[in-house]
Amino acid sequence: MDTNSDAVGRRTFLAQAGAGMAVLLTGGIGVSGCASARSISHIQGGMAGANHQSGHRLRAISELVRLPVSEKLTTNVLIAGGGISGLSARRWLQRQGISDTLLAEMDGQTGGNAAYGQNSVSAYPYGAHYLPIPDLRNQELLDFLTESRIITGSDAQGLPIYDDYFLCHDPEERLFINGFWQEGLVPEAGVPESDRDQIRRFFQLIDRFKTARGSDNLDAFTIPLDRSSTDETFRQLDRVSFASYLDTAGFTSPYLRWYLTYCCRDDYGATLETTSAWAGIHYFASRKGQAANANASSVLTWPQGNGFLADQLRAGAASPIRRNLLVYEVRLNDTGVTVVAFDATTNRNVVIDANKVILATPHFITKHIVQKIAPERSAWTGFRYAPWVVANLTLNGLPQGRGMPLCWDNVLYGASSVGYITANHQDLRDGPRKVITYYKPLTDTEPDAARRQAYGTTYEQWLTQIMDELETAHPGLTPYVSEADIWVWGHGMMAPSPGFVWGNERRQAAQPIANRVFFAHSDLSGVSIFEEAFYQGIRAAREVAEAV
Amino acid sequence: MVSEDERVAVRPGLTPLHWLLLVSVFIIATCGLIYELVAGTLASYLLGDSVTQFSTIIGAYLFSMGIGSWLSKYLDGNLIKWFIRIEILVGLVGGCSAPLLFVLFEYVASFRLILYTLVGLTGILVGLEIPLLMRILENQLTFKDLVSRVFTFDYIGALLASLIFPLILIPQLGLIRTSLFFGLLNIGVAAFLLYRFSETRSFRHSFSFILLASVGLLTTGFVYADRIMTYAEGLAFQDTVIYSKSTAYQRIVLTRNNRELRLYLNGNLQFSSADEYRYHEALVHPAMQARPFASNILVLGGGDGLAVRELLKYPSVQRVTLVDLDPGMTKLFQQNFTLVQLNNRSLLSPNVRVINNDAFTWIRQDTTRYDVVIVDFPDPSNYSIGKLYSTTFYTELEKRLAPDGLAVVQSTSPYIARKSFWCIKNTLAAVGFQTIPYHTYVPSFGEWGYVLALRNQHWRVGGPLPKGLRYVTPSTIRDMLYFPPDMAEVPTEVNKLNNQVLVQSFEEEWAPYGH
Ligand SMILES: Cc1cc2nc3c(=O)[nH]c(=O)nc-3n(C[C@H](O)[C@H](O)[C@H](O)COP(=O)(O)OP(=O)(O)OC[C@H]3O[C@@H](n4cnc5c(N)ncnc54)[C@H](O)[C@@H]3O)c2cc1C
Repeated sequence: MDTNSDAVGRRTFLAQAGAGMAVLLTGGIGVSGCASARSISHIQGGMAGANHQSGHRLRAISELVRLPVSEKLTTNVLIAGGGISGLSARRWLQRQGISDTLLAEMDGQTGGNAAYGQNSVSAYPYGAHYLPIPDLRNQELLDFLTESRIITGSDAQGLPIYDDYFLCHDPEERLFINGFWQEGLVPEAGVPESDRDQIRRFFQLIDRFKTARGSDNLDAFTIPLDRSSTDETFRQLDRVSFASYLDTAGFTSPYLRWYLTYCCRDDYGATLETTSAWAGIHYFASRKGQAANANASSVLTWPQGNGFLADQLRAGAASPIRRNLLVYEVRLNDTGVTVVAFDATTNRNVVIDANKVILATPHFITKHIVQKIAPERSAWTGFRYAPWVVANLTLNGLPQGRGMPLCWDNVLYGASSVGYITANHQDLRDGPRKVITYYKPLTDTEPDAARRQAYGTTYEQWLTQIMDELETAHPGLTPYVSEADIWVWGHGMMAPSPGFVWGNERRQAAQPIANRVFFAHSDLSGVSIFEEAFYQGIRAAREVAEAV
Repeated sequence: MVSEDERVAVRPGLTPLHWLLLVSVFIIATCGLIYELVAGTLASYLLGDSVTQFSTIIGAYLFSMGIGSWLSKYLDGNLIKWFIRIEILVGLVGGCSAPLLFVLFEYVASFRLILYTLVGLTGILVGLEIPLLMRILENQLTFKDLVSRVFTFDYIGALLASLIFPLILIPQLGLIRTSLFFGLLNIGVAAFLLYRFSETRSFRHSFSFILLASVGLLTTGFVYADRIMTYAEGLAFQDTVIYSKSTAYQRIVLTRNNRELRLYLNGNLQFSSADEYRYHEALVHPAMQARPFASNILVLGGGDGLAVRELLKYPSVQRVTLVDLDPGMTKLFQQNFTLVQLNNRSLLSPNVRVINNDAFTWIRQDTTRYDVVIVDFPDPSNYSIGKLYSTTFYTELEKRLAPDGLAVVQSTSPYIARKSFWCIKNTLAAVGFQTIPYHTYVPSFGEWGYVLALRNQHWRVGGPLPKGLRYVTPSTIRDMLYFPPDMAEVPTEVNKLNNQVLVQSFEEEWAPYGH
């Protein structure tokens, strides 16, 4: 049996050859045969998008407060934000016996950056889509994975066995470079020897960082990053940009720099210049997972991406969740906190009396919520968020060029996107229909300008840009696209700029207020990954439990 | 009214240029017939049944020529210009017809539609030629001379074509080059007229470019004809094609010669009727003879019903479930007369349930337990099929076996793909199966391997075998268990969904054989 993609590839070739012939035939005969621009009008879909409308209401709190109050609620612990960190906090509290909690999520679904959609072909992520095999010392995470039956047991050495359906299937990654799909993302095809040398040297360096320990005997780089060594030798790396670190270390190869830029954009929505060297190295050097049936570079993934994990986390507790409820103000009262929220379904305010509150919301929102009790937060400047565009394209087939067949992660060298993943890669059915999830961090301009521009870009404009780029690697793809959902994340994720990870703002942002208002969110790590969000949720929940 | 004689008197007669025009009639006629022969030959070659193919192609071609002749009356104005255009088009369409049809055959669903469209188009264009020429010459000759000369050249050309086609062209040039070569001749005629007739001066320039491009295209095709042929890979059939169909999943081609019937899927040989009994007896009986009471059997893959045919020889078998992805395949083996004879109506048996579904998806949902499972998937030549040879799949397989159940897995050639064969065995062992590898010789395949996978140790030779087997006996089975040193076990990795080592070794090992 031929691979489908291969057959499609040849078919398109034929189609093009045929079209070429037709032009030749008619062109000379005087019938006008001008090449028409690609048409995208057959593509169904539109802009989806994290409820940025309700998010934007925070800017106009003065209007919200004027709305009538329709409901008064009381709870022990109110959690604002149903992303990974909020769900993780809720689950942890339940495990500590604190089950009288209420989670308020402004969106129609929980998951936050791990939200997902679904159509007749596959489920697909709108944001986060994978989790690397965790370090054996990350016990809380291993417990969660075991509880969710993602880890199914352990072998004789005690190494966890992961469910084969969830470990990313082979073939995993490919890169379109010099007109060819090579295996793996580190440039190889057509790369000169001197560049390969530098690439090798870089990974040798990373290997040393992986095993490096500080004077406190803690790992130099680990996840959660709060457990990394405090040794200055490593922490000082946070004060310089990844770019200047690479310059100093003599890493000049354009191929290596492209690859590392790609990594920074992919993981942080940032560039070499705007990423701290510590964070840049952390991404590589913290991956130390072990498993009976996988290795440190293996990842877990699902068609719905980390939405699968979000659903598992949510199932870890039974307490109520209110969707479409936007928390916009937290005040301290005599004994606890008064929380004011806006119910988007009724257009009314809801007032919640709680003993404690956990704000599992990103800093750019949190600062508005705590404006009255912690106004200094609005002056902080270290929290920078790049906007992202995520497009889910449903395809009836995928014409493709020479080299490696379709993989889970597919990246185009030199492109403005960070490539696409195949959402139904883990689906074992073999068929031509696919959903691919295309990711593009908008890193060309300053975040604010990029955000304004992103909000002003129409569906057709996005789609044209995206198709133009994909067509370079998949000529003739456009007619195969039947649906396209485009999602703009105004504040995609926080970028760890130089100085942020080991700076003051991050430390202060996690400090509870009056032992009643607590903070959880991956922003408090500075590195936006599942593990950190999961950890921040637990950390905040522990503080709450201790404060009771 | 002017008399006949008066009309004669005003005709200027033929200039040398007009003689050359008549010579081009000869070339045109040769080309026209060649295209017809190419289409007819190709159709009978690819679709089988040469009488039907030839007569329908000729019919369609002549009819289209009629349409062309009729259409010619709508062409007015500069007739030479029209004629040159038509020549270029005939050259391109006719010339490219063979390579196009060859390549498209593999990849389009409705090949006949394309075939007849091309034939029709060529016919129409060729049909335009003679009437146009006659109108160009109309003022130079009397009507009777005109008709007589033009048709003389026309028929001589046809004779020449019909002789050189089978005697020289096919043996020397092959179909693709023949068609391209005559395309070039048509273009040559166009070029010749373009540069010899002064009326063409105004459009010479623009036409020159097209001529050049056309010559370039056809010449490239001519030079790379062998590559085009290899590209149309499935067409390496030496025998007559008696059936061919593209389903959503694969291209099924059936060929026949006086000795055997062969089935190809995407150009890969699946079986030859001459020795398939060896393959299928070896696949089914070593397992079945060890489970004399087996009644509920599962077959995965094997949509040809040949393994099922072997299974139905056991009276104990009450129910066979066959899961094959491709309804096109199972339908063919339920409906085609010759094939139904070959599988002994196995897929029509009331005890056999045919399910068209993806085996991986299906086995995860199924809840039945089977006494014997026959796994007859295509070789692991790509990642999609490689999944069906993974620990994950075998874990699901194990769940579907009765406590005393066993499975047998076709495992490619232990001679050609030694590592791949042992990798399959080791993968089965890795999920806890007791494994018994064995192999046999199938002339049309070569040395072929299988692995028995048992939930317990319980297997022996000497169980009851049905009557009438042509190959398998207890001694055959014993022989099959022995692996000579050149096929002996080698250490391998285990094939998992997240490493797919089997696909890689399979590719490496089969590459020299152009699999
Ligand atoms: C495009 C993209 C791709 C990513 N890919 C990956 C990946 O592959 N792997 C990975 O590990 N990480 C990835 N991430 C990072 C991802 O952000 C984290 O993994 C994690 O999901 C963050 O969870 P969180 O709870 O910290 O934050 P969020 O997901 O931001 O959760 C915050 C929640 O709070 C809600 N909320 C906000 N304001 C209010 C309010 N006022 N009232 C009530 N609710 C409110 C939001 O709707 C949201 O649900 C990606 C991020 C993006 C943007």
